[in-house]
Amino acid sequence: MGNTLEEHIKRTRQLLECGEVAMVIGYERGSVENRRRATFVKEVSELERMVLDGLCCENLANYLVREELLRSFDGKKVAIFLTTAGVRSVNILAAEGQINPDCVIILGFEAEKPGELDSAIKMLDGEHVDHYADSIQQLKSRGFVNDRAQVIVKLEMMSAEERFAFWREQFSRCVKCYACRQVCPMCYCRRCIVDCNQPQWINASAHDLGNLEWNLVRAFHLAGRCVGCGNCERACPAGIPLMLLNQRMAQEVLKEFNHFAGESSTQLPVLADFKKDDPETFIL
Amino acid sequence: MTKEFEPKIVAFVCTYCTYAGADLAGTSRLKYAPNVRIVKLPCTGRISPMFILKALQKGADGVLISGCHPGDCHFTSGNLHARRRWTVFRSLLNFVGIPDERIWVSWISAAEGNKFAEIINEMTEKLKTLGPFEPYKTLIRDIESPAEI
Repeated sequence: MGNTLEEHIKRTRQLLECGEVAMVIGYERGSVENRRRATFVKEVSELERMVLDGLCCENLANYLVREELLRSFDGKKVAIFLTTAGVRSVNILAAEGQINPDCVIILGFEAEKPGELDSAIKMLDGEHVDHYADSIQQLKSRGFVNDRAQVIVKLEMMSAEERFAFWREQFSRCVKCYACRQVCPMCYCRRCIVDCNQPQWINASAHDLGNLEWNLVRAFHLAGRCVGCGNCERACPAGIPLMLLNQRMAQEVLKEFNHFAGESSTQLPVLADFKKDDPETFIL
Repeated sequence: MTKEFEPKIVAFVCTYCTYAGADLAGTSRLKYAPNVRIVKLPCTGRISPMFILKALQKGADGVLISGCHPGDCHFTSGNLHARRRWTVFRSLLNFVGIPDERIWVSWISAAEGNKFAEIINEMTEKLKTLGPFEPYKTLIRDIESPAEI
């Protein structure tokens, strides 16, 4: 447990050597210079291909629920490089019964300028999700003050017709590749709603109606569960601003139910819970 | 002579309160707009957002979701789950441009036959002034009509 990169790497070597972890999930160089991708290290000799810099943006928590990978954990723990958003993902997955948080050893880090190669990297203390409770509370109290919030405000000032036209135009580029679903740690359903065809709720074809339905439903299924890691928006080949939808939902559940996704590994999912005095301003 | 626009309303209601309330409106011979198509479910907790999407997909101009008052749910807490769900889903629909005025949610008990009739009449009037849900109708037409070369 250290707070320099060298100490993190030393720790991964230690964990692999003593056999406490079956693998270390981190980043390696991608196919071109400015890309990084996930890497799965099982032997100490493979550690040299790991990198950690500002281009390491992907939320790796996604891999903790990939079944092909889970089989190779072999009863041992797994060490994984995660930002605070990733730690929140682990909390949600644990709360939803998908993983055991005691089997995850966290190598925490944050980039000062995510997306930029020369960004400084700060290592975080704490190998278990519980150690991040305070920093997650701090994130919660900061709320959603960012560029996206400004765009959301602008959208809400438009009329419903204008908003519909905006989103119809955005979704018209969707090709239903489902990359957004694939990279999301929260999309772990073995049979996605869009795969159901008896009855078929969502048109699977890539036309405007089906695209609207898919993106709408995915945003709803992520309400109160999205940690804002941005995997989906980065993965989208059509450049759809998915995070606008997801952040709007995160803002909604925070405002209405004081719910912030991933606070702890025992937090009840927001739509699986209720309070006697939940707000109901619009109900007749 | 042009026909006046008649909105199509789909109402998803719970069996033990709102459906019984609608029944009471019927047996009391209350007049209410015939524009509503009622879908009976055991509880509002069972109403999935997919149903609303399906209704819109099939050409509904407005959707009503109605059930027991909080505290009176036949299944104890189904409507309390529904309350959270509709808060979130309605705000999402509104954000995407499906306006609040087309998605109505109410608590109507088995004794409130009058309230049921009133809400249906109010909703029908409001939707008549709003007009058909054109943006969605163009989406549907675009995929159902044959391609033009």
